[in-house]
Amino acid sequence: MHGRPPAEDAQPEWRSTMIDVSGMSLSDLAADDGDSALARSLRRLAEDLAHPEDPIAGFNSAF
Amino acid sequence: MRRHVLTDAAFAALAAGRLSAATVDELRRAQLSKHLLLLRAIVQAAPAQTKLWYAQLEAADRADPPAARAVLADPLFGAWAAACLAALTSGKSPEEAGIAHLARVAAAASHSTGDGTARRLSATCDGITIDVRLDDVDPLRTRLGLAPTGRLTDAEVAHWQRCLADAWRLLVARHRSDAEILAAVLRVVVPVQPDPPAGGISATSAEAFGAVAMSAPQDGTALAVGLLHETQHNLLNATRYLFDLHRDPDAVGYSPWRDDPRPASGILHGAYAYLAMTRFWRTEAGRRAAFEFARWRSAVASAADDLLDGGGLTPAGTRFVSALRDEVRPWLDEPVEADIARLAAGANDDHRLRWRLRNLTVDPAAVQALADAWRRGLRPPQGALASRLIPAPRRALESSERLKLTHRLLRGQPGGAAAAGDVAYLRGDVGTALCAYRNRVVARPRDDAAWAGLALVSGQRALRERPEVVAAVYRALGESDQDPLALARWISAPATP
Repeated sequence: MHGRPPAEDAQPEWRSTMIDVSGMSLSDLAADDGDSALARSLRRLAEDLAHPEDPIAGFNSAF
Repeated sequence: MRRHVLTDAAFAALAAGRLSAATVDELRRAQLSKHLLLLRAIVQAAPAQTKLWYAQLEAADRADPPAARAVLADPLFGAWAAACLAALTSGKSPEEAGIAHLARVAAAASHSTGDGTARRLSATCDGITIDVRLDDVDPLRTRLGLAPTGRLTDAEVAHWQRCLADAWRLLVARHRSDAEILAAVLRVVVPVQPDPPAGGISATSAEAFGAVAMSAPQDGTALAVGLLHETQHNLLNATRYLFDLHRDPDAVGYSPWRDDPRPASGILHGAYAYLAMTRFWRTEAGRRAAFEFARWRSAVASAADDLLDGGGLTPAGTRFVSALRDEVRPWLDEPVEADIARLAAGANDDHRLRWRLRNLTVDPAAVQALADAWRRGLRPPQGALASRLIPAPRRALESSERLKLTHRLLRGQPGGAAAAGDVAYLRGDVGTALCAYRNRVVARPRDDAAWAGLALVSGQRALRERPEVVAAVYRALGESDQDPLALARWISAPATP
């Protein structure tokens, strides 16, 4: 499941399967092979790209 | 490696559209993460073509990380990276996938090029500033899904700037929390060509967090409403990057905001965007605001209920939609003037009726059986009559002459061409409206707006609940002397035991 429900015995939180690489240097990002969490995130990203949605278009702001 | 996390309280506040600055930061970090993951995947898919450019990016990132990260966080970089990786994955060559754009990205990150042609819009009010790029040049702006304008004239840019200044005064003064979220999310506005049948139009893309495509707004209020609306789509797109909310996001159904059937993910997008619209109009004064508030609070609550009742949500989706519904529910009890409440409820009923007439079809054999029974003076045959969706060929925004007349009435401009039935219906003259709509249906049996009008005022159960069935049988009869109301009354009657 993508998104884990809050545990009852801890501070309730929702944990994504997507990892946070925003603080990683580009050198480390390119070098970091074999990490399973990274691989899972990349797989998920590929799945999303293979299943694109239409842009959400159509709001009519004219009253 | 750290995963993106939201506390349950933060997640619920996000769903309610009242997210904190910390949650906005988490979503922005997640989008930068996404862009970096896309970049990594692109570099791995085309190592030879990207080696030098990636090295240049690495050097820029070491020299001035905030500047380099700002380039990589740009919404249109996300749009490019997603499209490029999708093309590479589908077997296109790096050149066909547009890999050369990475050279421009690397150059921009290295400060070796600057976009001297970029226009900016900015406004400051009471200590809050919004500053965005008005992008009328980048070829990637087509990725937002609407036809962009060409280069704007100075007068057109000045119009955008005036509207933003007015919008910003309104938002900061009366919707400060929303203004703070907007300033933190919005980075790029792409001006697009207007859609004449729809009036103003705007869009977002899941791959371009922080970008909004929009036709030139009429005024500051229209821009404020449009930006709030599209920012909600941005926020939900960022949420959906982190969490699966739907078990089957493509299952189609009724959306109160569109004339075409929408997938569950689109229905949630509508509910989330119109939650912000409802909150906006709840704070504003006047009959127009009261109408919008009354209409959208019901539509949002109804869409949330449908999503929750439909069983298609994941645990995260259930939590999200429940919190959304909890936000709007207390607003349902707030008083609205009786005539405004009638018009708002009527507009929602009208939309659902027209949607059914437009998008649902009935088994021809069952229709024929009903028509035969009517001709022979029998009772309606037993058995469930299934209506099924007709696949919609294209996007359909809400379009209704009756709604346009409602808007004119609320603006105090009741003039202009209008159908007699619509005029009578809006002033509450049910008898005159009923007669006018019946005559219109008899004259034009394929006029869905007339059928919907007849259903609104007739009180006949079959017309209210299954207008597509009554209309289909009436058309199958093919005789102009039939009374559609008598037919509706006959279909509404209990089946033969």
